[in-house]
Amino acid sequence: MKLYYFSEMPHHEFPDEEGDKYPSLRLEFPNRFFDREKAAANFRRYLTEYEFADQAGFAGLMINEHHSTPSCVNVGVNMTAAVLGRTTRRAKILLLGNILPIEDNPVRMAEQLAMADLISGGRVLSGFVRGVGVETWWANSNPVHNRERFEECHDLILKCWTEPGPFRWEGRHYHFRHVNPWCLPLQKPHPPIWIPGTASPETAVWAGRRGYTYVPFLVPFEIARELFDFYRQGAAEAGRTVTQDNLGFLICAVTAETKAKALEAGRHFVWRMGPTLRAPAEWFAPVGMRSRAGSQFALRARPRSLATMSYEELVEGQFIVAGTPDEVIDRFARVQRELGVGHLLLEAQESRMDHPTTMRSIELMGAKVIPAVASL
Amino acid sequence: MRPREETISVGGIGVHTWVGGHGEPLLVLHGAGGNRGWTRWLDQVSERFTVWAPTHPGFGRSDDADWMEGIDDLARFYLWFIEAAKLGRPHLLGHSIGGWTAAEMATMSAGALARLVLVAPVGIKPETAEILDVFYYSPAQLLTMTVHDPKTVPEWQELYGRPPTPQEIEIATRNREMAARLTWKPYMHNPRLAHFLPRVTNPTLIVWGREDRVVPVECGEQYRRGLPNSTLTVLEGCGHLPPIEQPDVFARLVLDFLGGDSRR
Repeated sequence: MKLYYFSEMPHHEFPDEEGDKYPSLRLEFPNRFFDREKAAANFRRYLTEYEFADQAGFAGLMINEHHSTPSCVNVGVNMTAAVLGRTTRRAKILLLGNILPIEDNPVRMAEQLAMADLISGGRVLSGFVRGVGVETWWANSNPVHNRERFEECHDLILKCWTEPGPFRWEGRHYHFRHVNPWCLPLQKPHPPIWIPGTASPETAVWAGRRGYTYVPFLVPFEIARELFDFYRQGAAEAGRTVTQDNLGFLICAVTAETKAKALEAGRHFVWRMGPTLRAPAEWFAPVGMRSRAGSQFALRARPRSLATMSYEELVEGQFIVAGTPDEVIDRFARVQRELGVGHLLLEAQESRMDHPTTMRSIELMGAKVIPAVASL
Repeated sequence: MRPREETISVGGIGVHTWVGGHGEPLLVLHGAGGNRGWTRWLDQVSERFTVWAPTHPGFGRSDDADWMEGIDDLARFYLWFIEAAKLGRPHLLGHSIGGWTAAEMATMSAGALARLVLVAPVGIKPETAEILDVFYYSPAQLLTMTVHDPKTVPEWQELYGRPPTPQEIEIATRNREMAARLTWKPYMHNPRLAHFLPRVTNPTLIVWGREDRVVPVECGEQYRRGLPNSTLTVLEGCGHLPPIEQPDVFARLVLDFLGGDSRR
């Protein structure tokens, strides 16, 4: 099993009591609380941690994108990919990912990803996501069209990468008369495609049909297994065999020399689960964004919101792993046994977890955990 | 007068429609909340007019039309409906997005319509304030912002007095999805509509609630300035739902306006 390092690049640089005054930290928490100097320092720090994770032996560096939220100020995943493409050497760069439904120009997206792949020497893993509702509000993109735009944007990007230009595209949501991108990815026919899942059975089936790597985020094991079953159903329809290389899982994880230190550090993940997920339902799932099946599945997948769980419950529920390297190896082995995944994505830095703690965790993961789980 | 329910086929789409009353035809287009059925004001108006109150495609029990992209599509659709239902040259009354639809229809085919009643229509951008982002709020929050004072609404108990059934929730969700499909961007307005309003010389009554928190009353002034043969009546102590909040006053206004002169 391969391990991936991931930071949401948060901007938790304001008094919590200020955030508590608003219905959510997303969309409406005023950006006068954005501290430009600290943000500049944080970007230097976060990128240094990614570079160290590359040196420590992580198989991949995962980056993501959100908007209008202090939980993630990585607002341009392709920009970050380009930076890491130059400053790292070995690890794959996993963009998980670009938010397709809010993209108005899939051709530009295909070009930017191709450029990142060229700069990084063919290390891009290109994740495509539907985004949470907040991004739909941010982009003022009609949520009713979310899935249609996701699929059409994907289809056009793939066509840019696999069919010689020039060609014309007249779809329902995208219209281009002269498509002929003069920037194509190094990897042939194109970078591997990854798809995350949180609650949508349709997405799992869709990814399975295409043989994309599918990664449920922060869901209970039994829900992940159900989503994998939908994935296998899609794969079977297309006559594809599913191996552990097709399946991944994401959790929060930190390690330290002692259990006490690790548990202290792991407590920072609670901010990500709690305050940053607090919002009216309409903001995360605006009308029409989810199908009825998706909405019903979401209710089962999250019988309790992560935002309402204590740290102890989050650890007990396997959403957060915090322990000595041996303990972490043990927990990761359990994830592998339970889910049969080939990729484990670690949200490994969050909020106010300090730089030395983050670096030490990366170092211990590299020295002890990565070698121990490699053969699983 | 007991209304009947019909399904009228327009371009292959079955449109669930309440029909009742007698007299000249009056086509009534509902708002984003959906078709509330045969409410009190309709009962009064149908004493002198034959009311046709269809449920928009994608709403309630009408068929889907997920190919539609905007209110201009719905407007063209209802001009077709008028022909399909053989309404001749009906009066047209629309509330909120139904009012916007009515205004669009009039700019497309003024001669196909007799008199117009626009009730708190969206459709044009307010000059200073903003149209409430209705999709940003839960249905429960929205209800409190839509009416001025529930205590003064005669049919409150019948319409909103009990928790919705699962089937009603499903219909409400469907209504909201179709409303989003039609109005998301530009939000609740057509930047080009105002340029076409001077074409509409039909006698037009614009009705607004002074306390409308969804669509600012200044939009009523803007419509009045744009429509050459229009008057604006603002009801005091009333929010975004004049036909529901003040059904008797509202029905009287409509009857006085429509029932006055003979056809244009």
